[in-house]
This record gives sequence, structure tokens and C-alpha cells, in this order.
Amino acid sequence: MSQPVSGGTPATSTLQALDEPHEEKRATVTPPGAKPPREHKLTGMRWFQEIGWRHVVGIVAVLWAIFPILYIISAALNPLGTVVSTTVIPREFSLQNFTELFTTPSIQFPRWALNTLVVCTVVTFVQIFCSALAAYAFSRFRFTGRRMGLLSLLLIQMFPQILAAVALYFLFTEIGEAVPAFGLNTLAGYILVLLGGSLGQVWLIKGFFDSVPSSLDEAAKIDGASHVQTYFRIILPLVRPILAVSGLLVFVATIAEFLLASIFLTAGSKKTLAVGLYGLIDADRSNNLGVFAAGALLTAVPVVVLFMFLQRYIVGGITAGGVKG
Amino acid sequence: MRKFARALAPAIAATFLLAGCGGGGGGNEATNTTPEETPSETATAEETGAPARADADLVIWTDALKIDAVKAIAEPFGEANGITVEVQAVSSDLQTNFVTANEASNGPDVVVGAHDWIGNLVQNGSIEPLQLSADDLSGYSPKAVQATTYDGQLYGVPYGIESLALYRNTEVAPNEPKTMDDAIKAGEAAVKKGDVESALNLPVGELGDAYHMEPLYTSMGGYLFGTSGDGEYNADDLGVGKPGSVKAAQKIGQLGEKGQKVLRRSISGDNSIALFTEGKAAFLVSGPWALGDVRDSGIKYAIQPVPGFKGMGPAEPFMGAQAFMVASNAKNAAFAQEFVNSGVNNEEAMTTMYEKASLPPALLSLQDSIAADDPDTALFAEAANKAAPMPAIPAMAAVWEPLGKAYSAIVGGADPAKTMKDTGKTIQEAINAS
Amino acid sequence: MSEPTTDTLTEEPTPTRRRRTVHQKQERHVLPILVKVVLLGLAVGIAAALTPTLIGLEKWTMLVAIWVITGVLVATYATQRALPAKYLVPGVLLLVCFVVYPIILTAQLSLTNYGDGTRGTKDEAIAQIIGSSVKQTADAPRYNLSVATTGSVTDGPFVFLLVDQESEEAYVGDAEGLEPFPEATVTDGFVTEAPGYTLLTPVQVNDAQQALADFVVPTDGGAIRQLGIREAFEGVTTLQYDEATDTITDTETGTEYTPKLKGDREYFVDAQGERVADQSWQANVGLDNYKRIFTDPRISSDFLRIFAWTLTFAFLSVATTFLLGLGLAATLSDPRLRGQKYYRAVLVLPYAIPGFISLLLWSSFFNRDFGLINTTLGLDIQWFGDPTMAKIAVLLTNLWMGFPYMFLVCTGALTSIPEDLKEAAAIDGASGFAGFRRVTFPLLLVAVAPLLVSSFAFNFNNFNAIYLLTEGGPFTPENPTAGGTDILISYILRLAFGAGGAQIGFASAVSVVLFILTGVIAAIQFRATRALEDVN
Repeated sequence: MSQPVSGGTPATSTLQALDEPHEEKRATVTPPGAKPPREHKLTGMRWFQEIGWRHVVGIVAVLWAIFPILYIISAALNPLGTVVSTTVIPREFSLQNFTELFTTPSIQFPRWALNTLVVCTVVTFVQIFCSALAAYAFSRFRFTGRRMGLLSLLLIQMFPQILAAVALYFLFTEIGEAVPAFGLNTLAGYILVLLGGSLGQVWLIKGFFDSVPSSLDEAAKIDGASHVQTYFRIILPLVRPILAVSGLLVFVATIAEFLLASIFLTAGSKKTLAVGLYGLIDADRSNNLGVFAAGALLTAVPVVVLFMFLQRYIVGGITAGGVKG
Repeated sequence: MRKFARALAPAIAATFLLAGCGGGGGGNEATNTTPEETPSETATAEETGAPARADADLVIWTDALKIDAVKAIAEPFGEANGITVEVQAVSSDLQTNFVTANEASNGPDVVVGAHDWIGNLVQNGSIEPLQLSADDLSGYSPKAVQATTYDGQLYGVPYGIESLALYRNTEVAPNEPKTMDDAIKAGEAAVKKGDVESALNLPVGELGDAYHMEPLYTSMGGYLFGTSGDGEYNADDLGVGKPGSVKAAQKIGQLGEKGQKVLRRSISGDNSIALFTEGKAAFLVSGPWALGDVRDSGIKYAIQPVPGFKGMGPAEPFMGAQAFMVASNAKNAAFAQEFVNSGVNNEEAMTTMYEKASLPPALLSLQDSIAADDPDTALFAEAANKAAPMPAIPAMAAVWEPLGKAYSAIVGGADPAKTMKDTGKTIQEAINAS
Repeated sequence: MSEPTTDTLTEEPTPTRRRRTVHQKQERHVLPILVKVVLLGLAVGIAAALTPTLIGLEKWTMLVAIWVITGVLVATYATQRALPAKYLVPGVLLLVCFVVYPIILTAQLSLTNYGDGTRGTKDEAIAQIIGSSVKQTADAPRYNLSVATTGSVTDGPFVFLLVDQESEEAYVGDAEGLEPFPEATVTDGFVTEAPGYTLLTPVQVNDAQQALADFVVPTDGGAIRQLGIREAFEGVTTLQYDEATDTITDTETGTEYTPKLKGDREYFVDAQGERVADQSWQANVGLDNYKRIFTDPRISSDFLRIFAWTLTFAFLSVATTFLLGLGLAATLSDPRLRGQKYYRAVLVLPYAIPGFISLLLWSSFFNRDFGLINTTLGLDIQWFGDPTMAKIAVLLTNLWMGFPYMFLVCTGALTSIPEDLKEAAAIDGASGFAGFRRVTFPLLLVAVAPLLVSSFAFNFNNFNAIYLLTEGGPFTPENPTAGGTDILISYILRLAFGAGGAQIGFASAVSVVLFILTGVIAAIQFRATRALEDVN
């Protein structure tokens, strides 16, 4: 009925992948202050032609990337908190907006943060779990409807859930009547809706599976490992980097989701950061900018931390993941 | 009001989508905002995570700004009747949330909202008519009663009224202008002197703002809908595209970016009040909701009703009334009627609402009694009494968006006459289609 | 009622067990099997636990759905068959329940006129219209009300014990009419005690609303009706509905109103076409919503232009973010470059800010007189007022938001391309850029192609980017429905919800059309990627 086949990309890609970490280690392990390896020591014009211009590009890019963020920081520190009085370089330093974030009764920031954490964690894990499973099947097995499956997946993925919002509302009204814990205005119900996109990362992960030689699976099977063992003990650790990357993508997308959240989560205590903060700025864009910016900063912090934490996976390739496992 | 104006004027797809589709919930806000409620109630609501109404003998939905005021009158009512009362703040799009939840029998018993919802709420069968006695009704500002009356029936007990007025930065424009022309002249002089950046802050924005433009539009002879004999708006008589509106459009064009540059698309609801409170504008057209910000900013200001243009008609901004309404699918219909008829409809409750919600009161006796202590609010009450109620008829939904965009285009330099006539056609088609 | 279900339940685990024995041949896999059995048992248990509730609530669709899901799970994991299914089922089930099923529901809604003004059934609408026509009888007295009963406080029969607010005389009123009731004890204007009657407390009155709903005391001028808990008024229902002729009659004027179709809904109208009320009701309209999409001149005139811009927008968003991301990745991934880590950390920051925050922020940057961009760069551009500039602004913002993703992906892909391949190219004499173009770039493109496709798909329907930035604007005076930066989804949602209130049925139809359109695009892209795969 189904048989394992090798991945779509040439086997060399694996070799490449196994090769590259040496490069990468050199890049990431070298402390910023340390001297570059001798053979690369360059001087003057030569240095600029080979390396220096890269710094120029890098700095320009950094400026481009960071000026709106500086604006957010400045807005968060601006006690007036209005659009008009905010500049890129902060003129005043005040933590008033942050205090307001935690003391105004209608802004339940800690609660929203907790809700967001719960939603993002569950959605990320389930989506990566389901996607990785499905991606493995699409990469390793040839079965009837495989191509159709991949195609329909792409199609359905392109359909924004928000267009079916009315239907989702009805559906969850029904569900809520039977199982109140999963109804409207519950985190569980909202999570379920988002889990509709559980196969969202299949394409990305499948590409990576394709580059892992199926000889590995077969070797494992010859050793007597079951499908489950092969998958969880051998294959998954190998693709850990892509799981980290796609996990991060899901996390970021989930933390920013507010269209569905504003339908499903209307009670103050059930809101996520996205819908809560959006409500703030929507109510009074002019005056709430400061508090909003403060909230936005605090929202962005965990994402940045998560990224830093996962950075070695993201650029590290296969063995960087293997080092730990 | 302001939030409303922003939400409605652009009549935005998503807002309606979200709410139209969604909504429902609204729910358990109160469990967190009412620590003084009995613990057991709080617990039940929290546990079940009920999507909608709390479990109480009387459930009231309002928005976050007014929850304290509503609580202050609902709780004594509950005590007096020996019943539990729950006031919930529904923070996003209360109107559509209410319609959807009420339809699914998940809604409140009483809803507190703006009068111009009434047309839509009635066509959706979401609210019940009220039967206040003629004596009681005569105590309210006639405009407020007119606003909350629809198809000959009263649908809301009004507690607050609001409309636009003209704020003036008295440091840069010391003299009270008699006409809009004077105001603009004084503002332009201040800009020339470098005192301010903007002569007159009237929100336009890229998508236009039909609400804030209304005083100028009416002063120049424009109208939106004609009224029939009983004072109700007549959807068959659309004023947009008629000669008066064209004249108004031409004046707006003159004041726009290709003319005097008084009206600018860069000034929108997002920044117009803030610019004024920063001292960067000589005049500001805004409502009582800006009063708090303006007072806090420490700027020296004066308020007056929006004046008309020289030799033209008076400027008639929209008047909006905030009212208590009874839900058609109320679980506690008797208490809902009782609350609105007797719990809200008295001077004491109205005073509480005025004090806590900071809106000009709709009750005439209260308007008189606050005049001395709070001249600003009294002035807003006076301005509202002179203004024309915002049309509540469903046809109005077809007006906001196209008219706002037409204003924006005209301010940006589009041909005023053609734009206004085309817009009239567009609106008429939309009305005919529904 | 739950008898037969419980039977199924107890039987259900048996096949599982039987199949387990097959498994047990491979003895070392006890743990996975144990996990499997526990999880399947859990699924069956949950389904079983929900069954009585669902039957009680008569939610048959959900009942069937839950057992089908359980069945699929058992069939997949309790057997040795269909290996791929074991990997696919969890995600597919979720997809079907919360994406596919809602799409089907949406398609169903698209055949109705559901929306503002048509939310209820015809009966509900009639009841509302009639109920809203009660008018107070002019100059009739008002009464202080006490509700009482001769029977039970929940079911009645009820009477109104009334005190005229002016004359302070007591009356008793029932379905027969109003009678003076001097025997009653009146305190503070209310009947507080009455021989032969039990008075209801306010809470009891409230609880008996269902039973009291239609209770009125007929009088000459109409009927006395309850108003809240403590008051009653005399009023008359001015409208009456006759089911046989399907006519609403105004008893004051004699005008008759009959249902007449206007647009997609019926109203009760008189001979001149005047409506008795704006309320209509839900009805099936067949394919009318679809017809409207294809015949409405407003839609057809703008459609192609917007469709073209949607494709352009999606393509340019992908192209610009990819090129910038790739360029930066290639520039900054040189192993000799110091501080790579820090560059990377900063460059991904835009990605860490939730999208709607960035969009709201950028929309204020583009303000002509007060926006950051014009004031910082000394420009005087009406960004959102000019269709071209607005398009550029949207793309610029999307570039800022999207390039870190591409930068990440390309950095990852670049590091996975072996250095010896690059070196080989260099030895062959290819200069840095040529080597990159001939060797690195094609390899990289293969790796990231699926991502580019899904990024295109995402931007094709990137509602937020348009709505939060420009709301589709700028709009020309001739056409306030189709803006300069509108993409299909923002345009369609405005059509459906913009003017005239929510038209959910119509909106559902356009959603379905958009879905089909999206499918066609996806199919074309799929062909393209297959071509790419074949190259390898």
C-alpha cells in the first residue's frame, strides 16, 4: 500500500548539511572580540573589499530595522503617551506607561500575558507535532492521494480562517452549549480554532525531511526499530533545527493573531495580549499610544529571547542540533 | 461617541465582520472588575467560562468607559429589590456583540448604548419599546427624546447627550469668534505668527470623517436626510448631491489642501485632540470626550457652540444621546423594564450617571442645576440641545463611508461639485438596494 | 435513553484489545502500545461521556461527528493498516473540524440572505413587529401593580391587583376585565394584602415572565399591561397579524400590509410600498448571492484592477522581502565577519514585534504633516492620498515586516550549502557574485521555493497589511468602494459589510468565490513548484 522512498532532493544536500557545521561553529563560536584566524587577516583596502563593506551594509540594515522599534521604545517612555508628542529619540524617561499597564483595572496585562503564553505554547507544540508527523508521511511514503493531499493542503492553507468567522462563531456557540469549557470566550475554544491550522508547517518541514536520506530510516529498521522508534528516536532529532525554526514561526504568528481572538475572546480576563492591546489602541489611538507601546515592548521581549535561544538551531544546521542530543 | 464616530464613519469591513460575525461573548468582564460582588457568583461565572451573560437577576452590558457609572445606579436598584445585579463591560463593538448574543439568547437584559444604534437594533428585533409616561418624558431634553424615538416608539431612556463644539486656545486666539470665518481668520493669523501649526483642527483623515464635517456641511446648506412631518428622518429624501450639499462641498474644497489649507487630511481622529492639547492648534472641533484631555493638558481654553459661516445657516453638528435599552430576549424582562422605567428614570440616578460618566445630562432639571458648577459641560448640553439628532435609520449606514471619503477627496483637491453629486448617486443606489 | 449507547461503549474497547494481541508479537514495543491503548481509551471515554449530554441537547451532528472522529482514531491506530494515515490523522482531523467544516458551513450560509435585518425567522419577525406596536392609550391612568395568583406562583392563574396612581382606588384585573376591589389593603399606593389571593414577590414576578407574557386585562380602550414589576399601563396593540391571509393590519388606520420581495428579502408593505417596519427575516435565496457577485456592475468594473494589484502586491511583497533578506544573509554570513550574531539579533527584531503593532505604527509614520517619515527625511509626500505612493508605502511596510523572515530562512539555507561547492565554483574561476549566482542561488532557490510559495499565499490574503495601514485607501470620489491599495480580501469584505450593515449571506458567497479563486492560484503554483522539483 505504501512504501518508503528517498527524499526528493539529491543526497548531496545531506552531505552538505553534515559538512557545514564546522563553518558555522567558526562563525558563531568566535567571540566578537577575538582575532580572526590568521589566514584571513586582511589589511586596508583589501579588508574593506572583502569584509568591511559588509559592516556598512549591516549597519545600514540595522538602522532600517531598528528605527521603528526605537520609536516604540520612545513612545513607551514618553509620559504623555500621545502620537503627537513622540519622537524617535526619547525626550523624556518615565515608566509611567508601564505602571499604568499594571495598575489600570481595565488593562489586565499580566492576565493577558499568561493567556497568550498558554495559547502560544499549546498551539506551537501541537502544530509542530502534527505538521512534523504529516510532513514525514508526505516525504517518506508514496500513497494514493499524496499529491492531491499536498495540493489541497496548500489550497486550504491559503484560505484565511477569518472568512469563515461567522460559521466558526456558530460552530463554537454549539460546542459551548454541549461542552462549556470549549465554547466562545474560553481559551480552550480559541486554541481549538487555531489548531485548525495544525498542518500549517507541513511544507516547510517536508522540505527538510526530503534532505534527510531515507537510508537512515532503513538502517534503523534493519536494526529492528519500529516505525514509532525510528521516527521519534532517529528522524525527529535530525530535523530539530527545522522544528525550532517552524516552531518560532508558529509562535510569532500566534502571538500576533488578533482577528479571531477579538471574536472569540471578548471578556477582559480571557483576552490575549494581541486583542487586549489592539483594544487599547483602537479605543483611543492618540492617547493610548504610550501604554500600547509599553505593552508591545513587553510582548516582543519573550519573542526576542526565544529567538536568541533558538538562534543556534536556526543557523546551526543538523549537527548543531545533534551536539545536544 | 468618539469611538463610535470612528468605528462608524469609515464603516469598516472588518469591524463589522468581526463583530457581525462574531461577538456574542462579552461575558465575564465583570468577574474581574467587580471585586465587591459576592464571591460565589464570581466563581460560577469564572468556572463555566460562560460565553455570555453572567448569572444574575439583572444583567446589564455597557462599555468600559461607563461601567462604573452604570454600576453606581444598578447596585442600589438590586439592593432595593433584593436581587443580584451584574454589570458587564463589553469592550469591543458592543452593538454588534449585543445583537448577536441577544439573537442566541446569550445577551443581557439591559444594554447601554448610543441612540443611533436603535434603527439597526429595531430592524434586528433586538430591543423592546418602552412605555414611559408622558410626564416623565417631558422632563428630558426634547432632542434626546426625539433621538431615542423610532417609528413612533420610545426605545431608550436617555441619560447623556453630546455634540461637537468649538474649542479655542485662548492664548493664541483671545477673542471669541462670531462666525466660522472669524475663527479661521484668527487661526490663520496664529499660524502665520508661528504660534501654532494648525489653524483649525477638524479631523479629516485619509478616509474622511462625516461626523466632524457635519457642522460645516449644514452651515453651508447641506443636509443628509429630510424629515417627515413627525420629525423623523425620511430615508427617501437624501440631501447628499442636492444643491446645498454641492455648495458646502465647494466651500470645503476652498478650505482644503488646494485652497486655504485649513482642512488637511493629515489631521485625523488620531491626532487632532493631541495636537490641540500640545498647543499646536488654535481651534479644535470636538466633543465633550475631549474635555478631560484638554483640561489635563493645562492649556488655556474656551468652548463655544460651533459657529456658522458668515451670512450662511447655523452650524448644526450631530447630536447623540446615550440611553438605556431593554433587550428583546431578556431573561429577566420584568426586572429589565422595572430598572429602566424606575431605576434609571429618576433624577437621583441621572445625577449619578452625570457625575460618573461625565457626559452632559439629558435631564432638563439636571442641565439647569449643573450650569453654575460646570459651565463647560453645560455648554455642551446647550450645544446638543440645538443640534440635530444623528439619524438612526438603517439607511444612515449607507451614508457614513461614501460621504466621509468624498470629504477626504474634496479636501485633497478633487472637484467638489462632481464628487458630491457622484457620492449622492452612490448613496442613493446603496439605499435603493436594501 | 442512553441504554444503547452505553452498550456500544462497553463493546468498543474489545476490538482494540483483540488487535493488541496481534501487536504483542513484537514484545519490546510494549510502551508505545500501552500509550496507544490509553490514548484510544481516552478518546472513546470522552466520546462516551459526551454522548448523554449531546443526546439531551439534541445535537445530532455533533454526536455523529464525535463518534466518527473516535472511529477514525481507533481504525487508524488500533490496526496495522495504512501506515501513512497514522502520521496524517491528527492534523487532518483538526483541519477538517476547524477549517474544512466551517468552510462548508460558510457555503451553506452563502445560500441565504442572513444578515442585519434578516436574523430571525418570519414568525419571530412578525411577533417582534406586532409586539413593538403597543401604544399607550392617551389620558388613560397608570396603575401601581401587584401581581397575584389564586393558584401557583409559577403557573397562575394570575391577576393584576392595581391601584390607580391618581385616584388611588384599587382594582382587580384578570382576562375577563377590570373590577373595583375595595376589599384590598392598600399601603403606600400598592395592594399589599388581598383576601383570596397570594401576592407574588418581585423575583417571583420576574420568574413567571413566560407565563405572564401574554397576560393582559382587556379594557374599553385596549388592555392593561404589565410594565416591569410595579407598574401597569393601558395600551393597545395597533397592529394585528392574520395568518390565513398573511396580512398585518393597522387597526388605527385600516392599512393592510402584505409581504413583498425587495432585493433579497421580504417586507410587509402597504399598497403604496410603505413598509410597516424595517424588519425582515431569514430566507433561502438560492444562488442569488453568487449572481449578484457576477452581475453587480460595481463589482465587475473594479474586479480585474484589484485582482491585478492583489497579484502584484503578493508577488512584490515576496520578491522584495526575499531579495533584501537574501542580500543581507549573503552579505552577513561571511564567516570572517565579526559580530554576525549581533547583526542577526538586531535584524530579526522587526519580526519579533507582533504584526498588528508594526502596522499601526507604520500607518502613523506615513502622515503627511506629522508622520515620522516626512518629518525626518524632509519630504512632503501625501503617502496615503495618492494611489501610487500608497502602494509604495504598503510595500515598504511589508518589506520591513517581512525581510527578517527571509533573512532567517536564507541564512539557514546558505549555511547548509557546503563550502566546498562554493569553493569549487571559485576555483573554476567564477567571481564572487557569478559563483553565487550560478552555484549558490539555484541550490538555495530549491530549498526555499516552498516558503516563497506559502509567503505568496499569505500575502495574497494579507488582510491586516492593507486594513491596518490604509484601510484600502485612497479612494477616488467616483468610487468609494474600491480603493487604491485594496486587495481582493479587503475589497470583498468592505462590499459585504461596508454600506448598509452586515450582509453575512452575501459575504459568505464572496468568501466561497475567493476560496475557489485562491484554489486556482494554488494549483498554478503547485504546477510551478512541481516543475522546479522535476528540475532536480
